[in-house]
Order: sequence, then structure tokens, then C-alpha cells
Amino acid sequence: MPCIAVESLTKIYQAPEKEPGFWNSVRSFFNRKIRHVRAVDGLSFSIEEGELVGFLGANGAGKTTTLKMLSGLLTPTSGAATVLGRVPWRREAELQRRFSLVLGQRSQLWWEIPAQETFRLNQAIYGIPEPEYKRSLGELVELLDLSECLSVPVKKLSLGQRMRAELAAALLHRPAVLFLDEPTLGLDVIMQKKIRAFIREYNAKHKATILLTSHNMDDVSELCSRVVVIERGRLLYDGSLQSLVARHARHKIIRVDFSGPAPADLSAIGTVVSNGGSRAVLEVPREKVSERAAALLRSWPVEDLTIEEVPIDDIVRGIFTGSGRGAAS
Amino acid sequence: MRKYLAAYQLALQNVLQRRSSLIMDRVGGVAVLASLYYFWLALMNGHKGFFGYSKAQMISYVLAINVLRSFVMTGRGWELVGDISGGRISSYLVRPMSYGGYSLSLDMAQKTVYLGSAVFEIGIFAALVRAQFYLPRHFTAWLGFAATVILSSLLFFVMEFMVSALAFWTSESGGPLFCFELFIQFAAGAFFPLDVLPKVIRHILDLSPFPYLVFFPINIYLERVKPGETLRVLAIQGAWLAVMLFLASRLWRRGLRGYAAEGG
Amino acid sequence: MKTASRYFRIWMRMAGMSLKAQMSHPLGSVGFLLGKLIRILFFFAFVVAIFKNVKELGGYDLADMALFFLTFNLVDLGAQILFRGIYGARRVVEEGDFDFYLVQPCSPLFRIMFATLDFLDLATALPVLVLLGMVFERLPALGAARYALYALLTLNGVAIALAIHVLVAGLAVRTQELENSIWVYRDLMFMGKFPTDIYGPAARWALTFVVPVAVMCTFPAKALLGLLSPGWILYSFCFCLALLAFARRYWLNSVSQYTSSSS
Repeated sequence: MPCIAVESLTKIYQAPEKEPGFWNSVRSFFNRKIRHVRAVDGLSFSIEEGELVGFLGANGAGKTTTLKMLSGLLTPTSGAATVLGRVPWRREAELQRRFSLVLGQRSQLWWEIPAQETFRLNQAIYGIPEPEYKRSLGELVELLDLSECLSVPVKKLSLGQRMRAELAAALLHRPAVLFLDEPTLGLDVIMQKKIRAFIREYNAKHKATILLTSHNMDDVSELCSRVVVIERGRLLYDGSLQSLVARHARHKIIRVDFSGPAPADLSAIGTVVSNGGSRAVLEVPREKVSERAAALLRSWPVEDLTIEEVPIDDIVRGIFTGSGRGAAS
Repeated sequence: MRKYLAAYQLALQNVLQRRSSLIMDRVGGVAVLASLYYFWLALMNGHKGFFGYSKAQMISYVLAINVLRSFVMTGRGWELVGDISGGRISSYLVRPMSYGGYSLSLDMAQKTVYLGSAVFEIGIFAALVRAQFYLPRHFTAWLGFAATVILSSLLFFVMEFMVSALAFWTSESGGPLFCFELFIQFAAGAFFPLDVLPKVIRHILDLSPFPYLVFFPINIYLERVKPGETLRVLAIQGAWLAVMLFLASRLWRRGLRGYAAEGG
Repeated sequence: MKTASRYFRIWMRMAGMSLKAQMSHPLGSVGFLLGKLIRILFFFAFVVAIFKNVKELGGYDLADMALFFLTFNLVDLGAQILFRGIYGARRVVEEGDFDFYLVQPCSPLFRIMFATLDFLDLATALPVLVLLGMVFERLPALGAARYALYALLTLNGVAIALAIHVLVAGLAVRTQELENSIWVYRDLMFMGKFPTDIYGPAARWALTFVVPVAVMCTFPAKALLGLLSPGWILYSFCFCLALLAFARRYWLNSVSQYTSSSS
């Protein structure tokens, strides 16, 4: 049985219609219109134990709504889902003790007091016995490098420290399933690397199943071998990151350094991305790469030439903006 | 000026948009109105007057409290405390409008809606319970009432602004504001006419700005203050307003300086 | 039993945490404490001042009126001390803390209601109890049974307050835009400062059967004075049970319609 199973999951929100203008607000004071929004629309996928899956989609694609249904915050309009064999929105303690949700821009830590107070509260809530709590906390403090942050009021912590304390609070009870929503949002590059290393370690060490959303493609490419992509609440792609890239990366990048100034017109070789001084960057259809590179070498004096894949970031952005849609649908 | 007008209009829409909040607010006000009304009615039972108020005057005092609570005693204090503690003040400072002026525009929007609602409520309430109420005989009483109410509403706004700005120093808490709001309701006469209190306390209060917020305006309406004295009340209100404006702006600037230094 | 002791531990933790949080801004806390004392003392002074001029009000003398006023304070403070968390409900829902409450193995209602224990109100309870003792002194000898009934009905009042707070929490979860419902409750409770007999018949009816301010604040004092029939005593307890059951259902329904904030 899969660890997470989602079947035709659908969520429709009702929102009051808001019209601009004074008289419209007077009118809507007395008579309010309701609008229906399909946030998640017949979504199905399943995840096995121990997998670390990237959950991708543009803003408003329904990622967070899906995570919230899988955590039991929201009751779906229709469809079914199970996590560890249980229906999340029944909110049974047996399931709640075994998973955790981390929302990047939210905090469960009490603001005015040190983070360890919240840790103790979570110990009471999850009913973690003292020795187990000590062991778990010790491990998290070491992995997340938290020893200096424990006794400082949370409001005095930096964003990176707070995020790490947040992760610790969520993982004290050693959840088998972890939902991470934008865990590296707003962090600097070094801190992002630390968080990623931690997630990978936690996944490996505890065989935890992790579903992760992120706008940061480094998170996805470094952590997730499998990705689920959704758009407007529907499944767009489910499979390995490599084949997603292969499917959508119909181009390769040629970087070339000329011995003299770069020729003005290179359009016969490929789409010019940049051209200045003695260096040019070109986008060339995948199947024509060797042919075009040979043509380059033949026609001009070339100092150096490299052929690269298009960055994943660009590819995924391309999928969301529609420029890579043809191959997927 | 135009930008403040725009802020006012936007805020007006916002007040109406949050329909349930508005209704709840008003229902609560009517509950207080009803309990005070019945309290005095029970007290007046078998008496001709009380503390120099006729029955109609006392009932009008209670009804007028509802109007003044809605027009004078509303402010942006809690929003200011929230902006200070949430660190949002700096984002207002870069805008080309003064924070005080902006707050006043928003407050005026609320006052507009609440005033309309309050007049409507006391109309319905007075009709339902067939209340006898007092109408001033002289035009000057109406005029004096309107003028003092406008001044007192400005005075309240500035005082509340000042107390809320203490949040710069009280580690981001609304404690002083809470204390101020409770105290001022009694000291201004927004629960009962101040004549009830012992003479000594009355005299002390008269030296403070508080009675000029609610007690004196209503007494002008009830024509218990002579037209000549109305001018004196107006002058004192104006003086207090000047003093409070001065203090508030000094406090505000000093608070901001500390705020910026801490990088809030 | 195991669950009960776990919840007790959680409650103690949250109480300790809120004490620490309150201590982190002592100056602000003094303001809150002072405000509450002002409210009680000013009102008490008002009632006393009134009775300098009249002998009775609606058939009650000063000691009776003081009893009604203090009983109101007892019920009100009981609710304020225990269910203080409700005042943060809107923030909890709006800023998304409620999301965390929902995913953890602890009743989210419990978390919302008992998130903070108000130590400041615990301090305000002191003058109320002292004043109440003074009033008891001035009442004629009434017998232990009357006092026991008074205590039971006061507790019943606090339980009704609990039900109302649960309804308010449900509203906050359901609508998210509602910040004032608890203040309506506060304003309606204002009517409990006086014995509800002084109000007009329509208001009295509403305060007995719809918004049970009379049952919460007036009935305990009337029972102590021997002015409440067994029928009304029975009604008080039944009303409380029915309201609690309804509040529970309403809460569960609200949670199932929760939409979480969008960020």
C-alpha cells in the first residue's frame, strides 16, 4: 500500500465577489454575491514510503491547498486521499502523531519566549517520553546547529535560525511523513544549503516520506528524484526529474569564445541568447547540436566551445508559462 | 488633501465591506444603551429628577452617549499599536502622507458610518420603548453641541494617538491604551453623568480634558450649560487640543527616533 | 484518564508559557491590570454613589445591588481567566496558527480556548472576592444550602460562558473576517451588571431565553437571596447543558468548513 494515495481530489472554495466603487460596496453590504473557485480539480497520484517528492506548480496552481488537505486542515469537496492508510481530514491522533507540516512563511513558535518552550509544549502535545525527547532534541540541535538559539526569545532570532528552530519543532516527534511548503523561502544561499542537507539527511536516516513544494529549483534538483507538477489544480506531469527535463529541454546551450570579435550574425546557428565582445551564447535544437557546433568551428576561428543543458529552473518556468506545453499534454 | 480624501473613501468602502464586524459592533453598542436606559428608568421610578436632571434630560443623556461613543470615542489606537509591534510603521513613513493624517482619514470613515448608524439606532430604540427625550429649544444649543462634538472628537483622536504611541516604549503592548480606554469612559462621562460623583472628584476632573469629551457636549445639548458658557467650553477644548497636539507630535517624533535606531 | 492527564500537562505548559510571555512586557501588563481595576472600582463607586441618593432600586437595596454586580464580575472574570485565549482567536485563525493546531494530536478547540491563562485577571479577582465577602457579611444569615446553590449556579454561569466562547471560536474559524463577536458578548454581558429585573419585559425575555445573561449573572444572586423558584433553577442547568451540546456541534461543523488563509 502506498504511503500517500490521492484519488480524484477536488477542492472548491467559495469567495465573496468584491466589486470596486462606493455604491457597489453599499450594495454588497445588503446583497452579497458568491464566486466559486476550483483550487484543486480531480488530482490523483501516490507516493511510496521513503520517497522524497517535489511538488511543483505556479502560484495558485493548488499545491498548498493539496498539502493542506493531506494534512487534514481542509476537507475536500470531493475525492479521496489517505496518508499512512488513514483519511487525513478525520484528524485522528494516530495519524497526527506520525506526520508533520512545515509552512515556510508561518511559525508555530511562540514569539516572545525562547523556542525551547514551544519544544516542551510539543513534547506534551505529542506525549513524547522524556528520554526519547532528549535524544530527539539532541539530534536535531546537532544537525540543525541550534545550540545557541534555544534560550533566546524567538523574535530575536534571524530568519534562518527561526526556520531551523521551526523544523526542529515539527520533527521532535520523529514523523514518518513530512509535508514541507517552501522550506527555504527568504533564506540566503548558505542557509538554503544547510536546510537541504538536513532534509536529505532526515529522509535517509528515518526513511521518512517527504512531499516538498518550492519555488527554488535548487531545492528540487538537489533533493527530489521524482516530481509531481500541477497546473490549475490538475496533474500535468508525474515522473522523474530527468525525463521531465529531457521532455521539455528541446534545446541545448552552446557557449563559444572566438579568437577575434564575435561575428555579428549568428542566426544561422541558433537562437542568440547573448552576443558581446568575443563571446556568444546560443540556443540550438537538441538533435542539431553536433551539426551546428561543427558549422561554427568550420566558419569562424574558435578559441573554446562548450555544450550545456538548459538550467532546470528555466525549463520548469517554461512549463508554467506555457512555452513548453506542447510536449507535456 | 486629495490623497487623504482618497484614503477616506477607500476606508469607507472597507468599513462597509466588513459587514459582520460592523453589525456586531453596533449590536454591542445597543446592548450598552439598553442597559443604561433601563437602569436610569428604574432609578427615576417615582422621582421627578435626579442630580438636577429631569427624566427626559437623563434619558436623552443616555441616548446621546450612544451617539458620542460612535462619533467621539472611536480611534485608530489599536491599529497604531499593531503597526508599531508588527514593525509596519516604517513602510508608512516612506509614503508621501503623514501617518497621523492617514489615520485620521480612516477614523473619519468609521465615524461617518457609525454616526449614521447611531442616529438610526437611537431613533428605533426611542420609538420602541416610547422614550421621552429632550429637544433643545434654542438653535444655539444645536450649534454649540455640533461645534463641541467636532472639537471633542479631534481631541479624543489626538489623545488616543498619544497613548497608543507609548507602545514604542512598552515593549510593543497595548496595555496603556487599554487602561486609557477604560478610564476615559468613566472620566469623560460616557457611562453616567459626572454629577453623580462626589464634588471633590468632579472638581479634579474639571481640571482635566476628559469631561470636555462627552459630559460637556451633552450638557450643552441639554441646555444645562448657558450659551455664554458654551463659548468657554469651546475655548477650553481648543486649548486642550493645542496642548495635546503639541505633546503627541513630540512623543511621536521621539518614538520614531528610537524605533529607527533599533531598526524596527 | 491518560488523555486527561496529558491535556492537563499541555494546559500547565501553556499557562507557564503565557506567564513568561506576559512577563516579557511588564509595563504593558501593568496597564492592563490597572485598566481592569479601574473598571471594577469605578463601577462599584458609581453604584454606591447612586445609593447615597436613593434607598432602593427596583426593589433591591445597596447590598443586593452590590451582590448582583459582584456576581456578574465573578462569572465574567471566571470566563476571562480561563478562556482568555478566545481573544486571540481571530489572530490565530488569520495568521494561520490554527493550521498548526489542526495538525497536532490535541483538540484545536482546547488550544484556542486555553491558549493563555490570564494571571492579570487572577489578580483582579482578589478585590472582587474581598468585596463579595463584605457583601456576604451584610446579608442576613442564609444557611449553607443557599450558598452551595449560589456557588453551583455561578459555576453554571461560567459553563454557559464557555459554550458562548465555543460559539465565538466557531464563528472565527468559519468566517475569518469576524473580529467583533466576542466584543458583542462583552457588551451584552454589560447588561448583567444590574439585576435583569430592571429591564423592560422584552429585554428581560431575551436575556432569559436567548442571550442568557440573566441566567449567568442574575439567577445565582437571586437564588442566594431566596428569590428564585426551583423551576428556574432547573431551567438554568438544562439551558446550560443544551447550549453546551449545541456549541459542540457548531464547532465541529465550523472546523469542517474551515478554509485556511491563503498564503
